[in-house]
Amino acid sequence: MNHGFFIAFNRIRQSQPKARGFATPIHFCSFANKTRLLGLLTAVAFIGGCDQLDPPAFRLNMVEAVSNETSTEYQQEIADVLGGLFGTPDEPFALPSTGLDLGKLRIAAGPVWSDSAGKHLGLYRKHCVHCHGITGDGRGPTARFLNPYPRDYRQAVYKFKSTYNPAKPTDEDLHRVLIQGVPGTAMPSFSLLPSSEVEALVEYVKYLSIRGQMETELIRYVFDELGEEEEEDENGNLVMKRYPLDPETDADQREAILEILAEIVDGWNASSEAVIAPEEAEIPEDNRAPEEIAASVAAGRDLFYGPRANCVKCHGPTGLGDGQQDDQDNWNKAHKVFLETLAGETEPELVAAKSVVADSLYPVRNAIPRNLRKGVYRGGRRRIDIFWRVYAGIAGTPMPGSGPASAGAQGTLTDTEMWSIVDYVLSLPYEAPSQPQQALPENPNAVTSAG
Amino acid sequence: MNIRKNSLGMLTISLVLATVAPATGADWGSLKGRLIVDGSVAAPAALNVNKDTEFCGQNKLLDETIEVGEGGGLANAFVFLYLKRGKSVDVHPDLASSGSEPAVVDNKGCRFEPHVLLLRTQQTLEIRNSDSVGHNTNFQTLSNPAFNETIPASGSITKMFEKQESYPSNVVCNIHPWMKSFVLVRDNPYMTISGADGSFEISNMPAGELEFVFWHESKGNLKDVALGEAGKTDRKGRAKLEIPAGGTLDLGDIKIAPTALGL
Repeated sequence: MNHGFFIAFNRIRQSQPKARGFATPIHFCSFANKTRLLGLLTAVAFIGGCDQLDPPAFRLNMVEAVSNETSTEYQQEIADVLGGLFGTPDEPFALPSTGLDLGKLRIAAGPVWSDSAGKHLGLYRKHCVHCHGITGDGRGPTARFLNPYPRDYRQAVYKFKSTYNPAKPTDEDLHRVLIQGVPGTAMPSFSLLPSSEVEALVEYVKYLSIRGQMETELIRYVFDELGEEEEEDENGNLVMKRYPLDPETDADQREAILEILAEIVDGWNASSEAVIAPEEAEIPEDNRAPEEIAASVAAGRDLFYGPRANCVKCHGPTGLGDGQQDDQDNWNKAHKVFLETLAGETEPELVAAKSVVADSLYPVRNAIPRNLRKGVYRGGRRRIDIFWRVYAGIAGTPMPGSGPASAGAQGTLTDTEMWSIVDYVLSLPYEAPSQPQQALPENPNAVTSAG
Repeated sequence: MNIRKNSLGMLTISLVLATVAPATGADWGSLKGRLIVDGSVAAPAALNVNKDTEFCGQNKLLDETIEVGEGGGLANAFVFLYLKRGKSVDVHPDLASSGSEPAVVDNKGCRFEPHVLLLRTQQTLEIRNSDSVGHNTNFQTLSNPAFNETIPASGSITKMFEKQESYPSNVVCNIHPWMKSFVLVRDNPYMTISGADGSFEISNMPAGELEFVFWHESKGNLKDVALGEAGKTDRKGRAKLEIPAGGTLDLGDIKIAPTALGL
């Protein structure tokens, strides 16, 4: 293990490009090259006419780095450690302990090309990068124009999955999202890809997630454990001494970093144990009589408007998603909090550093509860998909779970009740919107005054 | 462990004692002080109560981010022992059983009661809803698994945290987004929250140099705060302080600039 780690750290000395912050350097061709092409096709020169472009590099998480006052020296050291542990977008690497399949990662990573046998490589850059970005930070070139924004993998939080709220998704969950896409969003279906290619992409998404988690943990590790301290030099003068992040020579740091990585990997490995298994006896039959379905829909409706399930508070009295709309998901909230800290910042250097990052962020969007009358279900339209949403909530969003939070825990609602909510939700697109709702807001004045 | 005796026989006894009671009373000390906002603070603003107005609007709910008591005392600030990764601290025998009683966060009157809470790892936390409206509890952690669950009227859930957190965790209700509270989970008892008058005290700590974190929800770490003769907090809101054996390090009145709270 340690040996491999050493090799990893040595590799980086040769191959890792300098850390890139929010401002990725613009890759101009050499001046001579540029002038030669200027008279011809300038645009082509920028897009593909140069053969001296730097290979794409992973971008640092500058919201985390600036929030934790990570100095440029530490930023470089963090990039070095990440390079050692994970390689580069062209040459991915993963320690065996991560369980990541390097063969699959190599198929997904790197530039787009096909070998002589017709095997496609560079799949991530072919299919994903324009929205999700090289780093998997959800900041590809098209991201700004999409609503919802593409997923930022670095928090390793995924919404549409079969596991308990805090658990990671299973490989099958990620596979399903790639095959089905996310209806109602810009995420398309990749069902035409061979399943080996989908598997390679799933592996690469996990790789970018684990790398992103490790990056955040390293930034926090540097903040919590390292930094500068006043020390006396040989002449008795107080000087600031910086403790570098250097796991190559510091055994304690090496141990801590491998421990942190192991914790992250454990979280992913535990996902298959955290799959929500509905109680067999309470799963509705496929061939229920219409009266039976109607009774279940009615029961679900009562729960939807009642104080125990409380769906109405956010999804609104008509199910249009026009209830509580003042909140954000975790990704947008993190940016909102960052912007708020900038607003209250008084130190000029921090104002400057945070402003640059703030300018690079997309506008913060509120989490609008799903309009349940459209019949469009982002996480899938099978009953089990909607059951999982009601049971576990939707990780990273305001949507809470109503089932047990982990195996053996006590939930708010029973399986039968949640299946009834599923039946009601699936019936909502076909219920006349003009049908008077019995559970309009308790206080109609509040609606008008709230404006 | 405290190995100071010379003879072999005495050393053995010392080791046995060490596992039961790590040291004598004289080896423990305390830290106290009082956080004071150095300037005038406007009265807390009214919250925008726009859901369940009939119930939640009964009490005029105010922003609890900055609670300032008489004489400018800053309430609800966390002061806790900083430990490097993987390090532990000797715990005074009197505190060995602290955290064995369940702690409670109640959803009451569309706010969290208490607004700030200290919790030990392995301590039971009951999250209760005493209101007649439903709430949800979205508990955002860094080290432990985060969770987000509905808590129906008169319902409750219980939780336990295995790992300690480096900072207080933000707890919110998404149905009523003005609701928030902060819970600090640590695996040692050396933590406190400043009271209504801004005063705080941590007792029965092993004497010697210890490092503490000063934290407030408005801007997180309270950095560059002057602590009198004891120095000041650093860029990370931390300060190394000498805890006297058998005595108390009194930091006295600690002035916090309003800008440090984003005011």
